[in-house]
Amino acid sequence: MQQSNRLAQAHLWVAFGFFIPAMLLGAWQMWMRSPLPAPLHNHPDLYYASVTMHGTIMAYVLTTFFAMGFGYAVAATSLGRPIRGKTAAWIGFWICLLGTLMAAVTVLSGKASVLYTFYPPLLGSPWYYLGALLLIGGSMIWVVLMSLNMIAWKRDNPGQPVPLAMFATTATAYLWAWAATGVLLELICILIPRAFGWTDLIDAALGRTLFSVTLHGIVYFWLMPAYIAFYTLLPQAAGGRLYSDTMGRLTFIMFLVFSLPVGLHHLLADPEHGSGFKFLQSFLTSLVVLPTLVTVFSISASLEIAGRHRGGRGLLGWVRALPWDQPMVLAAGLSLVMLGLGGFGGIINMSYAMNSMIHNTSWVTAHFHLIFGGAVVIMYFAIAYELWPRINGKPLRSPQLARWQLWLWFWGMIIVTIPWHVTGLMGQPRRIATFDYHISTVAPMAPLVIVSVIGGFILLLSALLMLVILLRSQIGERTLAEPLRYALAVNPPRQVPAPLNGFAMWNAIVAVLMLAAYGYPIGQFFFLKSHRVPAVEVTSQSVSTELRR
Amino acid sequence: MTRSEGPFRTRNPWARIAWWSIAALIVVGWMLGFVVLGREQQNGPPLSPWASICRGFGFTADLAPANEPQPPLRTPTRIAWTRETFVQIATGNAERGEFIAINCTACHGDNGVSASGLYPTLASMKADTIYKQLDDFRAGKRSWGAMNAIAQVLSPQDSADVAAYFATRSNKSERPPLNAEQHVVGQRLVIHGDPARGIAACSACHGPGGYKVGAPSLQGQQPDYIERQLAAFAQGVRQNDINEQMRTIATQLEPEEMRDIAEYYGGGRPGQLAKQ
Repeated sequence: MQQSNRLAQAHLWVAFGFFIPAMLLGAWQMWMRSPLPAPLHNHPDLYYASVTMHGTIMAYVLTTFFAMGFGYAVAATSLGRPIRGKTAAWIGFWICLLGTLMAAVTVLSGKASVLYTFYPPLLGSPWYYLGALLLIGGSMIWVVLMSLNMIAWKRDNPGQPVPLAMFATTATAYLWAWAATGVLLELICILIPRAFGWTDLIDAALGRTLFSVTLHGIVYFWLMPAYIAFYTLLPQAAGGRLYSDTMGRLTFIMFLVFSLPVGLHHLLADPEHGSGFKFLQSFLTSLVVLPTLVTVFSISASLEIAGRHRGGRGLLGWVRALPWDQPMVLAAGLSLVMLGLGGFGGIINMSYAMNSMIHNTSWVTAHFHLIFGGAVVIMYFAIAYELWPRINGKPLRSPQLARWQLWLWFWGMIIVTIPWHVTGLMGQPRRIATFDYHISTVAPMAPLVIVSVIGGFILLLSALLMLVILLRSQIGERTLAEPLRYALAVNPPRQVPAPLNGFAMWNAIVAVLMLAAYGYPIGQFFFLKSHRVPAVEVTSQSVSTELRR
Repeated sequence: MTRSEGPFRTRNPWARIAWWSIAALIVVGWMLGFVVLGREQQNGPPLSPWASICRGFGFTADLAPANEPQPPLRTPTRIAWTRETFVQIATGNAERGEFIAINCTACHGDNGVSASGLYPTLASMKADTIYKQLDDFRAGKRSWGAMNAIAQVLSPQDSADVAAYFATRSNKSERPPLNAEQHVVGQRLVIHGDPARGIAACSACHGPGGYKVGAPSLQGQQPDYIERQLAAFAQGVRQNDINEQMRTIATQLEPEEMRDIAEYYGGGRPGQLAKQ
């Protein structure tokens, strides 16, 4: 167990260690693109390097390391035995860390300002792509280990239901494996050969299509730790029980099935695909609402059980009776609010027709900051506060500060994203370094942008508080802490149907769905059309705007 | 319990339900996306099922092209800056031009220094500019009041002569001295342009930064005239800029910015800008 704890802790420290500089960059980005005078505001090239770094860390480093660390912790505690394959796990950790450092150094050198989504035909330094390849490829070791640990446990415990936490973690691993195929193929077959000069053209449309395979799955890969906490940690922290174990299993299965064949909704404005496939994937995307609604229902039910158990009465009296001073409960409540707001925004993004109102505007940036930066990352904090005492044996020393931190994160994210949504509706494009706030159509956005800058700095403050809280716990006295406990279901499963205890059938279903949704859109590039174009190399050439108003 | 009830055993009700619902989803999604959605066209009659499926796949070659008339081909000017054109302009005789210019003074003022915002000052305007504008008026590429009729009675040689004459006159218009602080926006746009909006610096072609062939020097020009020309370019009323550069730039300008540019250029004595 000691080994598993060290493994989990190493992963989480890397995740949060990179998170803090990425937060600093994020706050500066908001500031420099606002009408306020900001340091280095004359350097759009720095802005794009910064956005690349911010995105790469938040989307790949923080999330992958967090999911891996959390996964190892869950595997060890929920199965009640040490992880198998620790050596492989450490090798995976070092590969991922090496990849992260490679990518980070390349971005810092200004030679890879292509944003974390790569955007071919933009072309950066090969070392950035190799770094990303090592990080994403290295995490596949974790995927294999999660799968093997679950299978081994099932073999040793025939007929027993896999604990929900482990089942969900394995679903996350399979989801990530499916999702990552797109970006790995894009890196290996398109970007790295071109970056090294082995090929002379880039098939931009194929590259974008392959990345779209990743783009939506990766979002749910980020989201899954939060949902695992909703189902398995939150009811326990609230002092109640999980409303339904089966609903939990179905939720994670539906996330695996429905978050993959849907990525074309990121390309609704792209010319390389026919309207039929765009609509099909848009239609399938709408089904992702199902597991979300099931979760909202069962989590509310679980919390009601806890609230009534604690003496809450009446229609909504149980809400007040919940232990809101518990970081996990508070974070989950705030997370659900942000998930609700962001979720409705997301329905607009994925709608084939409505998307055109907000496509490529800052509405989209606001949406994924609210959903991921808000609803998901606040749960990462809560999970860290829950795990830290368990894996260190040192209690969380500043619960009051933790509550402050979570509230600041919530309000910071709301203040950042609500005005951002509005400027998006006003037509503000995303991924733009400088705006001329003198233009009459841009001028009304200025006050909104300034408000969201304030939110950005509240978020930065909150992130620094989190670091303080974790460090204070880390250097504290070692006292015996109780092990991580998972919520019991109201009706604990004694026997579950095979499809709810494993993934063979669901992976087969994913394969069929992917073939139906992506077979032609990807296949067409090989026998019908090619979009091979010259690459646009992103150099470190400084593009300074001398005059800025 | 696990292996025997594998992913393709439909006897298991879970597997049966899962496979059937996935199949139903695919069928419904395909029908909606490839048949229903493709058929209904916002700007035309519904497509046949076959055309609709093709559209779903991204083939549009079999559809008729948009049923709109081909817009008439329009050239902005007859003038091209060829060797012949320059030779023609260079043959202009200023003495002969002075006689022709008698017809111009009624509107463009004595010695070509206009006293009204309706008419541009022609004194010291470059010969290539005047020559091109006269040809554009003659060919109907630019329209304004009496100018088309006047230009039509002038031969190319007459145009070159009168252009040569005005080019030798000096613009001694008396205007209040320019106060650059009152025209921050105009000064910024003239000297630096606005790259973010694709607006090149006016000064690069119209002086004092640089003078391009065919582009008039604007220093000391009537402000009202400059402003009206910018508005005309922006509205597409004036279309005789060879590469559409003025129409492109002017559409980006706000009305207040046009005014400020005009006042910045037109204010003060000619040549004052260059000293700043």
